Amino acid sequence: MAISLAKGQKVDLTKSNPGLTNIIVGLGWDTNKYDGGQDFDLDSSVFLLNADGKCSSEADFVFYNNTKGANGAVEHTGDNRTGEGDGDDEQVKVNLTSVPESIQKIAFTITIHDAETRSQNFGQVSNSYVRILSETNGEELIRYDLGEDFSIETAVVVGELYRHGAEWKFSAIGSGYQGGLGSLVSDYGLNV
Amino acid sequence: MAISLQKGQKIDLTKGRAGLSSITVGLGWDPVKKSGGFFGFGGGSSNVDCDASVMMLNENGKLADKKDLIYFGNKTSSCSSVQHSGDNLTGDGEGDDEQVKIDLSRIPSHIHRLVFVVNIYQAVQRKQDFGMIQNAFIRVVDNSSNAELVHFNLTDDFSGLMALVPGEIYRHNGEWKFSAVGDGTKDTSISEIANRYV
Repeated sequence: MAISLAKGQKVDLTKSNPGLTNIIVGLGWDTNKYDGGQDFDLDSSVFLLNADGKCSSEADFVFYNNTKGANGAVEHTGDNRTGEGDGDDEQVKVNLTSVPESIQKIAFTITIHDAETRSQNFGQVSNSYVRILSETNGEELIRYDLGEDFSIETAVVVGELYRHGAEWKFSAIGSGYQGGLGSLVSDYGLNV
Repeated sequence: MAISLQKGQKIDLTKGRAGLSSITVGLGWDPVKKSGGFFGFGGGSSNVDCDASVMMLNENGKLADKKDLIYFGNKTSSCSSVQHSGDNLTGDGEGDDEQVKIDLSRIPSHIHRLVFVVNIYQAVQRKQDFGMIQNAFIRVVDNSSNAELVHFNLTDDFSGLMALVPGEIYRHNGEWKFSAVGDGTKDTSISEIANRYV
Protein backbone atom coordinates (compact mmCIF):
# COMPACT_ATOMS: atom_id res chain seq x y z
CA MET A 1 0.00 0.00 0.00
CA ALA A 2 1.58 3.24 -1.18
CA ILE A 3 1.90 6.27 1.04
CA SER A 4 0.18 9.25 -0.55
CA LEU A 5 1.96 12.51 0.11
CA ALA A 6 0.76 16.08 0.13
CA LYS A 7 2.89 19.00 -1.00
CA GLY A 8 5.72 19.64 1.46
CA GLN A 9 5.54 16.26 3.13
CA LYS A 10 8.61 14.17 3.65
CA VAL A 11 8.68 10.44 4.11
CA ASP A 12 11.31 7.90 4.85
CA LEU A 13 12.09 5.51 2.04
CA THR A 14 14.82 3.09 3.07
CA LYS A 15 14.16 3.05 6.81
CA SER A 16 10.63 1.74 6.42
CA ASN A 17 11.66 -0.56 3.56
CA PRO A 18 14.83 -2.30 4.77
CA GLY A 19 16.82 -3.92 2.01
CA LEU A 20 15.47 -1.54 -0.62
CA THR A 21 18.19 -0.73 -3.13
CA ASN A 22 16.74 -0.53 -6.61
CA ILE A 23 13.83 1.79 -7.19
CA ILE A 24 11.95 3.17 -10.17
CA VAL A 25 10.74 6.73 -10.04
CA GLY A 26 7.72 6.98 -12.33
CA LEU A 27 6.42 10.29 -13.59
CA GLY A 28 3.06 10.65 -15.27
CA TRP A 29 0.83 13.34 -16.70
CA ASP A 30 -2.04 13.95 -19.08
CA THR A 31 -1.86 16.83 -21.48
CA ASN A 32 -4.42 19.10 -22.96
CA LYS A 33 -7.60 17.59 -24.33
CA TYR A 34 -7.64 20.21 -27.07
CA ASP A 35 -5.00 19.92 -29.75
CA GLY A 36 -4.24 23.64 -29.83
CA GLY A 37 -2.64 23.09 -33.22
CA GLN A 38 0.65 22.06 -31.56
CA ASP A 39 2.16 18.88 -30.20
CA PHE A 40 2.64 18.74 -26.47
CA ASP A 41 5.89 17.18 -25.26
CA LEU A 42 6.76 16.96 -21.58
CA ASP A 43 10.20 15.91 -20.44
CA SER A 44 11.37 14.63 -17.12
CA SER A 45 14.90 15.48 -16.02
CA VAL A 46 16.95 14.55 -12.99
CA PHE A 47 19.48 16.76 -11.23
CA LEU A 48 22.13 15.06 -9.12
CA LEU A 49 23.03 17.59 -6.45
CA ASN A 50 25.95 17.99 -4.09
CA ALA A 51 25.81 19.22 -0.50
CA ASP A 52 25.38 22.78 -1.79
CA GLY A 53 22.33 21.81 -3.80
CA LYS A 54 24.16 22.22 -7.11
CA CYS A 55 25.20 19.97 -9.96
CA SER A 56 29.00 19.60 -9.82
CA SER A 57 29.20 19.06 -13.57
CA GLU A 58 27.05 18.59 -16.65
CA ALA A 59 27.29 14.84 -16.13
CA ASP A 60 25.01 15.33 -13.09
CA PHE A 61 22.16 16.52 -15.31
CA VAL A 62 20.34 13.39 -16.46
CA PHE A 63 17.77 13.85 -19.19
CA TYR A 64 16.76 12.55 -22.62
CA ASN A 65 20.14 13.48 -24.10
CA ASN A 66 22.22 12.16 -21.21
CA THR A 67 20.33 9.22 -19.86
CA LYS A 68 22.86 7.93 -17.34
CA GLY A 69 24.41 9.61 -14.31
CA ALA A 70 26.06 8.87 -10.97
CA ASN A 71 28.31 6.25 -12.62
CA GLY A 72 25.24 4.45 -13.92
CA ALA A 73 23.34 4.44 -10.60
CA VAL A 74 20.71 6.75 -12.08
CA GLU A 75 19.21 5.89 -15.45
CA HIS A 76 16.54 7.75 -17.41
CA THR A 77 14.68 5.22 -19.54
CA GLY A 78 13.94 7.63 -22.34
CA ASP A 79 11.73 10.27 -23.83
CA ASN A 80 7.99 9.96 -24.25
CA ARG A 81 6.69 12.48 -26.72
CA THR A 82 2.95 12.45 -26.08
CA GLY A 83 1.94 11.66 -22.48
CA GLU A 84 -0.87 9.50 -23.80
CA GLY A 85 -2.22 6.45 -22.07
CA ASP A 86 -2.37 5.27 -18.48
CA GLY A 87 0.52 4.82 -16.14
CA ASP A 88 3.99 6.30 -16.05
CA ASP A 89 4.98 8.40 -19.02
CA GLU A 90 8.68 8.42 -18.17
CA GLN A 91 10.71 6.47 -15.64
CA VAL A 92 14.03 6.85 -13.89
CA LYS A 93 15.82 3.89 -12.33
CA VAL A 94 17.93 4.52 -9.26
CA ASN A 95 20.28 2.14 -7.49
CA LEU A 96 20.41 3.84 -4.11
CA THR A 97 23.41 1.93 -2.79
CA SER A 98 25.68 2.84 -5.69
CA VAL A 99 24.92 6.57 -5.76
CA PRO A 100 28.31 8.24 -5.00
CA GLU A 101 28.58 9.82 -1.57
CA SER A 102 29.15 13.24 -3.17
CA ILE A 103 25.56 13.23 -4.38
CA GLN A 104 23.34 14.24 -1.48
CA LYS A 105 20.11 14.93 -3.26
CA ILE A 106 18.37 13.85 -6.46
CA ALA A 107 15.77 16.26 -7.81
CA PHE A 108 13.06 15.12 -10.23
CA THR A 109 11.59 17.70 -12.56
CA ILE A 110 9.11 17.92 -15.42
CA THR A 111 9.35 20.61 -18.08
CA ILE A 112 7.42 21.43 -21.23
CA HIS A 113 9.53 21.16 -24.35
CA ASP A 114 9.48 24.35 -26.42
CA ALA A 115 6.75 25.77 -24.17
CA GLU A 116 7.26 29.38 -25.10
CA THR A 117 7.03 29.06 -28.86
CA ARG A 118 4.14 26.64 -28.57
CA SER A 119 2.42 28.84 -25.99
CA GLN A 120 1.96 25.98 -23.53
CA ASN A 121 2.09 25.79 -19.75
CA PHE A 122 1.28 23.52 -16.82
CA GLY A 123 -2.26 24.86 -16.64
CA GLN A 124 -2.86 22.56 -19.60
CA VAL A 125 -1.40 19.55 -17.86
CA SER A 126 -3.53 17.47 -15.53
CA ASN A 127 -3.15 14.40 -13.34
CA SER A 128 0.59 14.86 -12.82
CA TYR A 129 2.18 12.59 -10.29
CA VAL A 130 5.41 11.08 -9.16
CA ARG A 131 5.63 7.66 -7.59
CA ILE A 132 8.36 5.41 -6.32
CA LEU A 133 8.32 1.70 -6.97
CA SER A 134 10.48 -1.09 -5.74
CA GLU A 135 12.17 -2.43 -8.86
CA THR A 136 12.39 -5.93 -7.42
CA ASN A 137 8.68 -6.53 -6.87
CA GLY A 138 6.98 -3.58 -8.58
CA GLU A 139 5.35 -2.48 -5.34
CA GLU A 140 4.36 1.19 -5.21
CA LEU A 141 5.91 2.67 -2.07
CA ILE A 142 5.20 6.38 -2.36
CA ARG A 143 2.88 8.44 -4.48
CA TYR A 144 2.48 12.18 -4.79
CA ASP A 145 -0.31 13.63 -6.94
CA LEU A 146 0.49 17.21 -7.87
CA GLY A 147 -3.10 18.41 -8.13
CA GLU A 148 -4.13 21.85 -9.33
CA ASP A 149 -1.21 23.94 -8.14
CA PHE A 150 0.20 25.02 -11.48
CA SER A 151 -0.86 27.35 -14.25
CA ILE A 152 1.49 29.52 -16.28
CA GLU A 153 4.60 27.70 -15.09
CA THR A 154 6.63 25.75 -17.64
CA ALA A 155 8.79 23.77 -15.22
CA VAL A 156 7.95 21.84 -12.06
CA VAL A 157 10.23 20.31 -9.45
CA VAL A 158 8.04 17.42 -8.40
CA GLY A 159 10.11 15.84 -5.66
CA GLU A 160 13.50 15.06 -4.24
CA LEU A 161 15.24 11.99 -2.95
CA TYR A 162 17.76 12.99 -0.31
CA ARG A 163 20.15 11.48 2.14
CA HIS A 164 19.27 11.75 5.81
CA GLY A 165 21.95 10.17 7.89
CA ALA A 166 22.45 6.74 6.41
CA GLU A 167 18.96 6.60 4.94
CA TRP A 168 17.22 7.99 1.85
CA LYS A 169 14.08 10.06 2.25
CA PHE A 170 11.64 11.51 -0.26
CA SER A 171 10.28 15.04 -0.18
CA ALA A 172 7.15 16.09 -2.12
CA ILE A 173 8.22 19.48 -3.48
CA GLY A 174 5.64 20.49 -6.09
CA SER A 175 7.19 23.86 -6.91
CA GLY A 176 6.51 25.49 -10.26
CA TYR A 177 8.83 27.80 -12.17
CA GLN A 178 8.55 29.94 -15.22
CA GLY A 179 11.38 29.83 -17.73
CA GLY A 180 11.31 26.13 -18.51
CA LEU A 181 14.20 23.72 -18.32
CA GLY A 182 16.69 26.54 -18.91
CA SER A 183 15.84 28.24 -15.62
CA LEU A 184 16.14 24.97 -13.69
CA VAL A 185 19.49 24.17 -15.26
CA SER A 186 20.93 27.52 -14.22
CA ASP A 187 19.31 27.36 -10.76
CA TYR A 188 21.12 24.08 -10.24
CA GLY A 189 24.44 25.70 -11.08
CA LEU A 190 24.96 24.73 -14.70
CA ASN A 191 25.53 26.97 -17.69
CA VAL A 192 22.76 26.82 -20.25
CA MET B 1 -12.51 44.69 -10.43
CA ALA B 2 -12.18 41.72 -12.72
CA ILE B 3 -9.24 39.38 -12.51
CA SER B 4 -7.50 39.14 -15.85
CA LEU B 5 -6.31 35.64 -16.46
CA GLN B 6 -3.53 34.29 -18.56
CA LYS B 7 -3.80 31.10 -20.57
CA GLY B 8 -3.58 28.09 -18.29
CA GLN B 9 -4.59 29.89 -15.12
CA LYS B 10 -7.35 28.62 -12.90
CA ILE B 11 -9.34 30.63 -10.43
CA ASP B 12 -11.93 29.89 -7.79
CA LEU B 13 -15.29 31.49 -8.51
CA THR B 14 -17.35 30.51 -5.50
CA LYS B 15 -14.73 30.26 -2.76
CA GLY B 16 -14.98 33.44 -0.73
CA ARG B 17 -18.21 34.26 -2.55
CA ALA B 18 -20.59 31.90 -0.86
CA GLY B 19 -23.70 33.52 -2.31
CA LEU B 20 -22.57 33.41 -5.91
CA SER B 21 -25.02 31.44 -7.97
CA SER B 22 -26.35 33.38 -10.94
CA ILE B 23 -23.61 34.25 -13.41
CA THR B 24 -23.37 35.26 -17.03
CA VAL B 25 -20.57 33.98 -19.20
CA GLY B 26 -19.97 36.49 -21.97
CA LEU B 27 -18.12 35.56 -25.13
CA GLY B 28 -16.90 38.11 -27.63
CA TRP B 29 -14.94 38.32 -30.87
CA ASP B 30 -14.42 40.67 -33.79
CA PRO B 31 -13.86 39.99 -37.46
CA VAL B 32 -10.38 41.05 -38.59
CA LYS B 33 -10.77 44.31 -40.47
CA LYS B 34 -9.49 43.90 -43.99
CA SER B 35 -7.96 46.99 -45.49
CA GLY B 36 -10.30 47.98 -48.32
CA GLY B 37 -9.91 46.09 -51.55
CA PHE B 38 -12.19 43.54 -53.10
CA PHE B 39 -12.03 41.04 -50.30
CA GLY B 40 -13.08 43.24 -47.38
CA PHE B 41 -15.95 42.12 -45.24
CA GLY B 42 -19.23 43.25 -46.68
CA GLY B 43 -17.50 43.44 -50.01
CA GLY B 44 -18.79 40.11 -51.25
CA SER B 45 -17.24 37.48 -48.95
CA SER B 46 -19.46 35.94 -46.27
CA ASN B 47 -19.47 37.18 -42.73
CA VAL B 48 -17.66 34.98 -40.28
CA ASP B 49 -20.45 33.62 -38.10
CA CYS B 50 -19.08 32.40 -34.77
CA ASP B 51 -21.29 30.32 -32.51
CA ALA B 52 -20.84 29.86 -28.78
CA SER B 53 -21.84 26.57 -27.20
CA VAL B 54 -21.55 24.85 -23.85
CA MET B 55 -20.91 21.18 -23.27
CA MET B 56 -22.16 19.95 -19.91
CA LEU B 57 -19.90 17.04 -19.00
CA ASN B 58 -20.20 14.45 -16.28
CA GLU B 59 -17.56 13.36 -13.78
CA ASN B 60 -15.79 11.31 -16.43
CA GLY B 61 -15.65 14.26 -18.81
CA LYS B 62 -18.34 12.75 -21.03
CA LEU B 63 -21.34 14.26 -22.71
CA ALA B 64 -23.87 11.78 -21.37
CA ASP B 65 -26.90 13.09 -23.26
CA LYS B 66 -27.03 15.15 -26.44
CA LYS B 67 -29.38 17.49 -24.58
CA ASP B 68 -26.33 18.47 -22.50
CA LEU B 69 -24.97 20.36 -25.49
CA ILE B 70 -26.32 23.89 -25.27
CA TYR B 71 -26.13 25.88 -28.51
CA PHE B 72 -28.31 28.05 -30.72
CA GLY B 73 -30.45 25.03 -31.59
CA ASN B 74 -30.92 23.93 -27.94
CA LYS B 75 -30.78 27.06 -25.89
CA THR B 76 -31.87 25.79 -22.48
CA SER B 77 -30.56 22.79 -20.60
CA SER B 78 -33.12 20.25 -19.40
CA CYS B 79 -32.45 21.40 -15.82
CA SER B 80 -32.83 25.02 -17.07
CA SER B 81 -29.71 26.04 -15.15
CA VAL B 82 -27.92 26.96 -18.40
CA GLN B 83 -29.53 29.38 -20.84
CA HIS B 84 -28.01 30.51 -24.11
CA SER B 85 -29.08 34.02 -25.07
CA GLY B 86 -29.17 33.26 -28.75
CA ASP B 87 -27.26 33.47 -31.96
CA ASN B 88 -25.32 36.49 -33.16
CA LEU B 89 -24.46 36.25 -36.82
CA THR B 90 -21.72 38.84 -37.22
CA GLY B 91 -19.59 39.54 -34.13
CA ASP B 92 -19.73 43.24 -34.95
CA GLY B 93 -19.76 45.82 -32.20
CA GLU B 94 -18.42 46.09 -28.69
CA GLY B 95 -18.94 43.81 -25.72
CA ASP B 96 -20.29 40.29 -25.53
CA ASP B 97 -21.42 38.81 -28.80
CA GLU B 98 -23.15 35.86 -27.18
CA GLN B 99 -23.99 35.19 -23.56
CA VAL B 100 -24.77 32.15 -21.47
CA LYS B 101 -26.63 32.60 -18.21
CA ILE B 102 -25.89 29.98 -15.58
CA ASP B 103 -27.43 29.23 -12.21
CA LEU B 104 -24.62 27.32 -10.51
CA SER B 105 -26.80 26.18 -7.60
CA ARG B 106 -29.21 24.44 -9.97
CA ILE B 107 -26.68 22.52 -12.01
CA PRO B 108 -27.42 18.82 -11.45
CA SER B 109 -24.87 17.06 -9.27
CA HIS B 110 -23.83 14.69 -12.06
CA ILE B 111 -22.61 17.61 -14.17
CA HIS B 112 -19.01 18.45 -13.25
CA ARG B 113 -17.73 20.58 -16.06
CA LEU B 114 -19.07 23.20 -18.44
CA VAL B 115 -16.82 23.54 -21.47
CA PHE B 116 -17.34 26.67 -23.53
CA VAL B 117 -16.70 26.43 -27.24
CA VAL B 118 -16.72 29.03 -29.99
CA ASN B 119 -16.70 27.64 -33.49
CA ILE B 120 -17.12 29.06 -36.96
CA TYR B 121 -20.43 28.18 -38.58
CA GLN B 122 -19.85 26.40 -41.92
CA ALA B 123 -16.11 27.00 -41.64
CA VAL B 124 -15.22 24.47 -44.33
CA GLN B 125 -17.88 25.53 -46.86
CA ARG B 126 -17.03 29.18 -46.39
CA LYS B 127 -13.26 28.55 -46.21
CA GLN B 128 -12.95 30.45 -42.94
CA ASP B 129 -10.78 30.00 -39.87
CA PHE B 130 -9.91 31.82 -36.66
CA GLY B 131 -7.14 33.71 -38.42
CA MET B 132 -10.05 35.91 -39.58
CA ILE B 133 -11.16 36.62 -36.00
CA GLN B 134 -9.50 38.83 -33.41
CA ASN B 135 -10.11 40.13 -29.88
CA ALA B 136 -11.73 36.93 -28.67
CA PHE B 137 -12.48 36.84 -24.96
CA ILE B 138 -14.49 35.08 -22.31
CA ARG B 139 -15.63 36.72 -19.11
CA VAL B 140 -17.73 35.82 -16.10
CA VAL B 141 -20.14 38.30 -14.57
CA ASP B 142 -21.94 38.07 -11.22
CA ASN B 143 -25.57 38.77 -12.10
CA SER B 144 -26.47 40.05 -8.64
CA SER B 145 -23.99 42.93 -8.79
CA ASN B 146 -23.09 43.02 -12.50
CA ALA B 147 -19.47 42.84 -11.36
CA GLU B 148 -17.09 41.19 -13.80
CA LEU B 149 -15.36 38.42 -11.85
CA VAL B 150 -13.00 37.05 -14.46
CA HIS B 151 -11.80 38.23 -17.85
CA PHE B 152 -9.62 36.27 -20.23
CA ASN B 153 -8.43 37.62 -23.58
CA LEU B 154 -7.29 34.99 -26.05
CA THR B 155 -4.03 36.19 -27.55
CA ASP B 156 -2.63 33.23 -29.48
CA ASP B 157 -2.65 33.02 -33.24
CA PHE B 158 -5.48 30.66 -34.12
CA SER B 159 -4.94 30.66 -37.88
CA GLY B 160 -6.01 27.40 -39.43
CA LEU B 161 -8.22 26.44 -36.48
CA MET B 162 -11.99 26.34 -36.71
CA ALA B 163 -12.98 26.02 -33.06
CA LEU B 164 -11.78 27.61 -29.84
CA VAL B 165 -12.18 26.48 -26.27
CA PRO B 166 -11.87 29.78 -24.39
CA GLY B 167 -12.52 28.37 -20.94
CA GLU B 168 -14.18 25.90 -18.62
CA ILE B 169 -16.15 26.12 -15.42
CA TYR B 170 -15.72 23.02 -13.27
CA ARG B 171 -16.32 21.62 -9.81
CA HIS B 172 -13.32 21.26 -7.54
CA ASN B 173 -13.58 20.27 -3.88
CA GLY B 174 -17.14 21.50 -3.56
CA GLU B 175 -16.49 24.85 -5.24
CA TRP B 176 -16.75 26.06 -8.82
CA LYS B 177 -13.59 27.12 -10.57
CA PHE B 178 -12.85 28.75 -13.91
CA SER B 179 -10.00 27.61 -16.11
CA ALA B 180 -8.58 29.85 -18.85
CA VAL B 181 -8.08 27.22 -21.55
CA GLY B 182 -7.57 29.38 -24.63
CA ASP B 183 -6.90 26.59 -27.07
CA GLY B 184 -8.00 25.90 -30.58
CA THR B 185 -8.96 22.74 -32.40
CA LYS B 186 -9.39 21.74 -36.01
CA ASP B 187 -12.94 20.51 -35.43
CA THR B 188 -15.10 21.82 -38.24
CA SER B 189 -18.46 21.81 -36.46
CA ILE B 190 -19.93 21.75 -32.99
CA SER B 191 -21.16 18.19 -33.54
CA GLU B 192 -17.61 17.12 -34.38
CA ILE B 193 -16.36 18.57 -31.09
CA ALA B 194 -19.25 17.07 -29.16
CA ASN B 195 -18.60 13.62 -30.64
CA ARG B 196 -15.20 13.60 -28.99
CA TYR B 197 -16.91 13.60 -25.60
CA VAL B 198 -19.46 10.86 -26.27
